[in-house]
Amino acid sequence: MEEHKSRLGYTFFMLTFFLCGSIIFLIGFYPASYSFSAEKENSIPSDRPKVLHGLKLEPPPPSYDSFILLVIDALREDFPNATTMPVAYERACEKLSLHVDIPTVTMPRLKSITTGTLSNFIDIALNVGHTEQLDDSLLHRLKKQNRVATFAGDHTWIQLFPTEFTRHRANNDSFYVNDFYDGDKRVTESLNLELKRTDWTLMVLHYLGLDHIGHVESHASPKIIPKLNEMDEVVKRIVEYKNLTNYLLMLTGDHGMADGGGHGGNTPQETAVPLYLYSKNCSQSKSSSKLHRYNQIDLTPTLSILLSVEIPTMSIGCLIPEMLQSLSKEQQLYAYFYNAHHLMNRARVRLGHDQVHNTDYYGWYQEATQKHKQVILEEIESSSLVNYETAKLNYIRVAEKISVLLSESLIKFDYGFIALGLGLTTTASLHLLLSVLFLDITDQLQLNNVRALQLLISIGASLVFLVIGHLMNIIMTSSMLYSVLLIVPLSIAFYLGLDIVRALVKISLPPSSFPRLYSPRRLKLSLPLPKILFLCYAIRTFTLGSSSFIEYEYRTWYYLGNTLILLTALRTLRRRITKANVELDGRHLSKIASACLWQHRRIFVVLLLLILMRYVYRLHVIKSTLMIFSLFILWARLRKYSQSAQSVATAVGFAIIYAFRGLNGQVQFINISEFLASRLVVPTVLAFWICFALVLVLGYREALPQTNPPPHWTRSFVLQQLMQTNLVCSLMVSALLYNVRNIVLLPTLLITLNETYKLCDAFATSSSSHKFSVRLVHVYKIMMTIFVARMFYFYQGNSNSLSTIDLTPGYIGQSSYNPVIVGLFVTIHTYGAEIHSFLYLIIHTLRTSDLRGVGIMQMKPAYSTAADSLVVPLYATLIVLPVAFYLCLMVGFRYHLFIYSVFSPKVLYDCYTVLVFYIVFLMTSLYLKLFKNYKPEILHNLS
Amino acid sequence: MVLSRFDQQKTKHQLFHVSLSLATILICMAYMQYRRNWEHLGSFWDSLIVPIVFIGELLKVLLAHFYGRIEDGVLTAKQRQKKAAYFTPREILGGLTLQFLCTLLYAFICIILGAPVLGNYEQTFVLSLLMTLLTVSPTVFLLGGGGALQVCFCEKPEFVTKCEDTALNLFKYNALGGILGAWAGSVVAPLDWGRDWQVYPIPNVIGALLGSALGNIYACTHVLYATVRMYMSKKRG
Repeated sequence: MEEHKSRLGYTFFMLTFFLCGSIIFLIGFYPASYSFSAEKENSIPSDRPKVLHGLKLEPPPPSYDSFILLVIDALREDFPNATTMPVAYERACEKLSLHVDIPTVTMPRLKSITTGTLSNFIDIALNVGHTEQLDDSLLHRLKKQNRVATFAGDHTWIQLFPTEFTRHRANNDSFYVNDFYDGDKRVTESLNLELKRTDWTLMVLHYLGLDHIGHVESHASPKIIPKLNEMDEVVKRIVEYKNLTNYLLMLTGDHGMADGGGHGGNTPQETAVPLYLYSKNCSQSKSSSKLHRYNQIDLTPTLSILLSVEIPTMSIGCLIPEMLQSLSKEQQLYAYFYNAHHLMNRARVRLGHDQVHNTDYYGWYQEATQKHKQVILEEIESSSLVNYETAKLNYIRVAEKISVLLSESLIKFDYGFIALGLGLTTTASLHLLLSVLFLDITDQLQLNNVRALQLLISIGASLVFLVIGHLMNIIMTSSMLYSVLLIVPLSIAFYLGLDIVRALVKISLPPSSFPRLYSPRRLKLSLPLPKILFLCYAIRTFTLGSSSFIEYEYRTWYYLGNTLILLTALRTLRRRITKANVELDGRHLSKIASACLWQHRRIFVVLLLLILMRYVYRLHVIKSTLMIFSLFILWARLRKYSQSAQSVATAVGFAIIYAFRGLNGQVQFINISEFLASRLVVPTVLAFWICFALVLVLGYREALPQTNPPPHWTRSFVLQQLMQTNLVCSLMVSALLYNVRNIVLLPTLLITLNETYKLCDAFATSSSSHKFSVRLVHVYKIMMTIFVARMFYFYQGNSNSLSTIDLTPGYIGQSSYNPVIVGLFVTIHTYGAEIHSFLYLIIHTLRTSDLRGVGIMQMKPAYSTAADSLVVPLYATLIVLPVAFYLCLMVGFRYHLFIYSVFSPKVLYDCYTVLVFYIVFLMTSLYLKLFKNYKPEILHNLS
Repeated sequence: MVLSRFDQQKTKHQLFHVSLSLATILICMAYMQYRRNWEHLGSFWDSLIVPIVFIGELLKVLLAHFYGRIEDGVLTAKQRQKKAAYFTPREILGGLTLQFLCTLLYAFICIILGAPVLGNYEQTFVLSLLMTLLTVSPTVFLLGGGGALQVCFCEKPEFVTKCEDTALNLFKYNALGGILGAWAGSVVAPLDWGRDWQVYPIPNVIGALLGSALGNIYACTHVLYATVRMYMSKKRG
């Protein structure tokens, strides 16, 4: 039968194309390197200017003997104050504030500090794991002069500068966030060692403890203040060290810390960091009330001047006047001149000579150099003071102007890749949509079989396109291989596009126009599209166009999800009451109504629970009780799916989870010494994994084909058993990974889905056509699943800002940083709700075949067979469509003010959602495929 | 044929009804304009919106009664019986209970859809009162509590007179518009405009009023369209 044909293979290909397309899009939208522009940058002279209008200039010598850059990870602006860091606060010569650019994660920030350029947004993805080495930075310049730079702290520095430091002692494991103290102790040790030596010019110290505390315990953790005190001790140690005579200590943070402890976003807490300066015999700060604000990239040129090295080529920062006070007036003027000169050169390269010469800042620059010349000629006199000030001010405003211009012009898009990616994603999602909407007539529309001729045509078309592109210099690739590789996505996009166009023509043409070529009757939708559902879905999709709606996306989901559940509940109730009332004709109506209400009391409980979930973060006080309670409920729920042995193992597993949290001190537990507790953590987690394996093995052994299967062992029954085991296992892992207060979400999710499905079943009997009414139920359930899953995704504390990704679950039971395991755990934790909902939907679909009394059992076509022909493809379509729409929006918004702060994190989240769905889909369809031929075998055995 | 279907009394009733609704909402708008500051919209004692809407709905019911007098002579036994029972304490009590329960239900819905649970009780109460007034109350005033329930849950109750049926049809537009308007009003809540009228219940109250106005305008166009078609066919004839 046609409608039972499995569409898994087709869906698999479409999803793969979509993912490839989105990856291509991301590559185009966030070009990972500036290499194509770097060639031109080489023309910028890297030496310091020695001549000004024929006058010889002398670059100033290093102003201090030793420079110490003390970076405290995630030191936000309000952390250092008179109580938390008394020495650091009292003895600072200057207190400044730095503005940090997004993305506020460590690696891009270090790049900014050392090279003085803004970083690419995609660096955030590279922050974990791969790091490219830099070509040019302060440290490269220092090394060229054979001066000694030493380093201790975060490993990222060594990845960025493997050979530039003369000595380094990096932490082995910067990403292991449970390490609060050991790494910092090592940094302080190496500080003590280095202080005894005197050969170094620059010492960089990078303390990670504060950031780790924030990640694990949030910004309000009681451990923060002791940590700040520890940092204060470090400052005190340096400041009071006797042998250091002429030093400059800079205390700063690489990025701030959001409320909640993470970082990566764009809130003021994350983007403002302090910069405190210390040196011997400085004029103590006049305790000015208002902090001067500079950019983090301004640190690079200023440090270059002070260190007496060349400004790194890529630098686009201005100078920080407060840091230049140790220089003489002439030297200061030279510094301003040098930076303005450097920026002028950069602007010439970037924006073109002629354009620069017509601007007002070029005029300012000319004026400044003239005055500068006069200052040098006149020596120090009264009239030259005026000239001096004019020159300085002009230099400063030139630098500021060009700095802003350059940072705006850094945005580069690779339109070829963007167009290709968009083409692929859009065609794949539209193709998927058409084939799902016209489920029964895909053969007529010829959507799901490959035709050789069309394939040849599209390959030819893409070849021609590429050749023309090459000839007209629109497409540029570095090697032949890349252009050959480009043919693949291009021809796929062409092929799918042709398919879509033909299908649309067929659908829209009047039936009788070409009776020979096309089908004689009008093509109808094979799916019912309930208005309300699709209204909500459309609202959810189109509100992606507003930055506020993205920032507060959880509100949209709560609102729409609850509206849908409520409306379905009210409609079901009304239908039940009306039905019960038909023969009574209005008598005892209130009694009937209250009886029906009582029958459906559970849905109101669910609604109440959903209200409660909004406040789940406030249930801090009763978290131990809540955890026991929710684990118990979860266990009771899961008992339905498992045999006694399995449920015992599950129970033990849950008990171990509680013990684990108890050992960590997050819930009430028997009192044992801290030492013992820290020793017991790893064995506890190990015991949990043993329980997990037990549940898995027991479940599979029970379900896998036996020699003599009982008669009710149909394909869907075995599948259902296996999927249930998978769900139980995945729930167990989530229970381990979830935050203590979030565990209550797991049983609530199951209850909510269960009750909503019951509500949806009521639609089955209403419609006239059987096939249509079964599909209506499917559509309702799929839509509800998507909405409920998203609601729970946000209940958990997720958002569209990168700072809310919780990294702690990645390190449970781990003693070191293992990127694969951390990635896996964080993904399971973050997308738990979506994974479970999808699995639950599939299980429910398979299960309904043995649910009696709902009225679905007797239906033809059978309900459960729709799992692979309708449910999975439709679910995939509904997941993919908004993402495709959003990618198109991104192109429109590419110059939007919030593109990097609001829209970009969202696009990463969206693409990752599709990826996670893709993986879950692959696993599920593997099972569905493996047991495809199970049923005939059994029938054969029986006969 | 068309002529016989066209009912002059009914059209008059409909037009009066719709203009009453629109007038009520206009008065509300004028009042809001007069007060300038909209912060009071959520308070019970300080805002006149609820009383104005209440009076408007009462007037509509009175209008229905006025037009209903004409057909008093052709009532069936059941309808007569219903009419007689209108002012009995049982019916009045039932009606009040029903409205009270509806207010509670609306408050529950408000909270489900995101109204704060701990606090803003007065605002939630005002909003749900307004919603009750726009949706359930007119039907209850017209038919009593039991009657309203039956209209809601039965196919087509026999006791409803022709004129009441007209009014009920129009109430439906009013109610649907009000609900949709209040629902859609929340759209401004997440926007970062920082206006003081973005505070909960104000957009929802205004949305409910505007929604019911739109519903009435929609109903009005229907009535006018039917009238115009009648006149055209008359001319042609």
